[in-house]
Amino acid sequence: MNRDEIIGGMVIFIFGAVTTFLSLRMPIGNFRMPATGMFPLLLGILLMVLSTLFILNLFFKNKKIELRKKWFSLSELFPAQLILFFGTMVLATAFLKPLGYPLFSFLLMIFLLRILGTKNWGFIFLLSLVTGLVSYLLFVQWLKIPLPKGWIGL
Amino acid sequence: MLESLQNLANGFGIATTIHNLFYCLIGAIVGTLIGVLPGIGPIAGIALLIPATFGLNATSAIIMLAGIYYGAMYGGSTTSILLNVPGETASVITCIDGYQMAQKGRAGPALAIAAIGSFIAGTIGIFGLVFLAPPLAQAALAFGPPEFFSLMIFGFIVLSNVTGTSLLKALMMATIGLIIGTIGLDPVTGDARFSFGSISLLGGIEFVAVAIGLFGIGEVLINVHQPTELLDQRVIVPRFRDLYPSLQDLKRSIGAILRGAGIGFGIGLVPGPAPVIATYSSYMIERKISKHPEEFGKGAIEGVAGPESANNSSCQSAFIPLFVLGIPFGPVTAIMLGAFLIHGVSPGPLLISQHPELFWGVIASMYIGNFILLLLNLPFVPFFANILRIPKRILLPLIILFCMTGMYTVNNSIFDIWMMLLFGALGFLMRKWAYEGAPLLLALVLGPKLEVAFRQSLMISHGDFAIFINRPISMAFLLAAVVFLTIPIIRMIFKKKGGEDTREKVRG
Repeated sequence: MNRDEIIGGMVIFIFGAVTTFLSLRMPIGNFRMPATGMFPLLLGILLMVLSTLFILNLFFKNKKIELRKKWFSLSELFPAQLILFFGTMVLATAFLKPLGYPLFSFLLMIFLLRILGTKNWGFIFLLSLVTGLVSYLLFVQWLKIPLPKGWIGL
Repeated sequence: MLESLQNLANGFGIATTIHNLFYCLIGAIVGTLIGVLPGIGPIAGIALLIPATFGLNATSAIIMLAGIYYGAMYGGSTTSILLNVPGETASVITCIDGYQMAQKGRAGPALAIAAIGSFIAGTIGIFGLVFLAPPLAQAALAFGPPEFFSLMIFGFIVLSNVTGTSLLKALMMATIGLIIGTIGLDPVTGDARFSFGSISLLGGIEFVAVAIGLFGIGEVLINVHQPTELLDQRVIVPRFRDLYPSLQDLKRSIGAILRGAGIGFGIGLVPGPAPVIATYSSYMIERKISKHPEEFGKGAIEGVAGPESANNSSCQSAFIPLFVLGIPFGPVTAIMLGAFLIHGVSPGPLLISQHPELFWGVIASMYIGNFILLLLNLPFVPFFANILRIPKRILLPLIILFCMTGMYTVNNSIFDIWMMLLFGALGFLMRKWAYEGAPLLLALVLGPKLEVAFRQSLMISHGDFAIFINRPISMAFLLAAVVFLTIPIIRMIFKKKGGEDTREKVRG
């Protein structure tokens, strides 16, 4: 039995418990006239039951807990490359409006290509420029999608 | 029967005019492009392009919009197979085995069998539409809220059995999907739920954000998680002769295609997200009857052929209630109804007599459109399959840009991109800890409909749960659900007694 699996089951149980708690703060009604909170309340309870069964099943299936030195290593789960990659996506989303779509797509490509280890700056610059231009022409000019214009106004 | 054939022949006369053929071709091409672009599904695609049909007569306009609809369904499978990004809901199931096939260098056969299966199923669906429309539409009227609720429960049990992890994990994911589906406005009373004062959350969680996040972004993050040197590895690049399905592939697929066509046609008549349920049911049945169930989830061609056929067939039969009753049973047909009304046509029992040229012309054009799509898609198989030749360190940033842009275009909302990123991170963790995203996604789509059916049923019965077993159709679905739920458990117990848990093995 893997302790990570138990943690997963417990997280899901907590999610069910929070859902149940929040649902109880809404009008529940009765079975004749179910109100807003009834359905999520039932789902929250169901999720708690399922996650309890899941955890119990883990215990019954294999009583011996797989003892690892550490439960899971954060640096193993989230290596620097992954954090940089995801962080760039988050930052790009945060700056999409002020930057505008053409600049956003150009810069996003530059950073992501570089983070994934492309070394040739000329290639990175050219590919980012072409990608930004093509996506701008496709989405903004051809499909007429009102993407953010940003300070460059394109 | 003869009258229907005569009418269909007249329909072909209308559909094959140069004018209508041109609009059918345009619709098929635009639809395929829309299907390939993640984020812009058939609903958004048709909605965006309705204004482009204002200058056309009603028949040409509906022919073009129908072309966009099934073109998008064809295109949606392409990104599912190649990139694990479902363009629309119905393509989620195709991701499971289609993407695995692509990873093994069999993207070509997967794409080709999806196109061939869709064509065969579309053809069967159209003939069903011609001959069975009126009686089947009457049968669909027998579905009330209790039947619909039981059907959904059956669907959840089916989909929980489909996925590769344990049944309990799949059921938990489905329940979480249902809970996420309750975010936003209560579909009955209009009260806000779990919105925490956010206006953006009032509209609920956008399905596309969850789909692209869990599958597309999650997959990209899994790839980024690998050591840098692995990013230069390409998936197995197919040789030219491997780009199309072999005779063995066709032999394995034909049964799945025919079964998928039948399942899809039947489910398309039922209210609700027919293509979604149809693809799941087809996949489940193929897995159950397969001699090699262990191949499912690892690149079984039947896992692509069956669901893709069911998808296309259900799209055709979904037009029956729209044409004959004037009632759209799904969001796409609802938008099509809007297009009918804009062009001064009211679908309903009088449509066939009042606008025979439109009814039969559109039906004939569907067949022609399917043929055009087959011709369009098969030659492009090598082109699409070669996308996989691009090294991952270049392909992954392109997918991210594509996903983020596509996500924004759905509602012109940056909030949706945030949601996509959130579900992308969740998708990554779920993949790491072996939780499947498909049950969550499908539950999210079906959840609001399930809730409405549940509450309406209880209101009708004054709180008596017996309503679900007193009605024969509803009881049949619930019995089937119980059977589907208990058989794997009983089998697992017996296998365990025999000293081997093959269910876990099969589920990978």
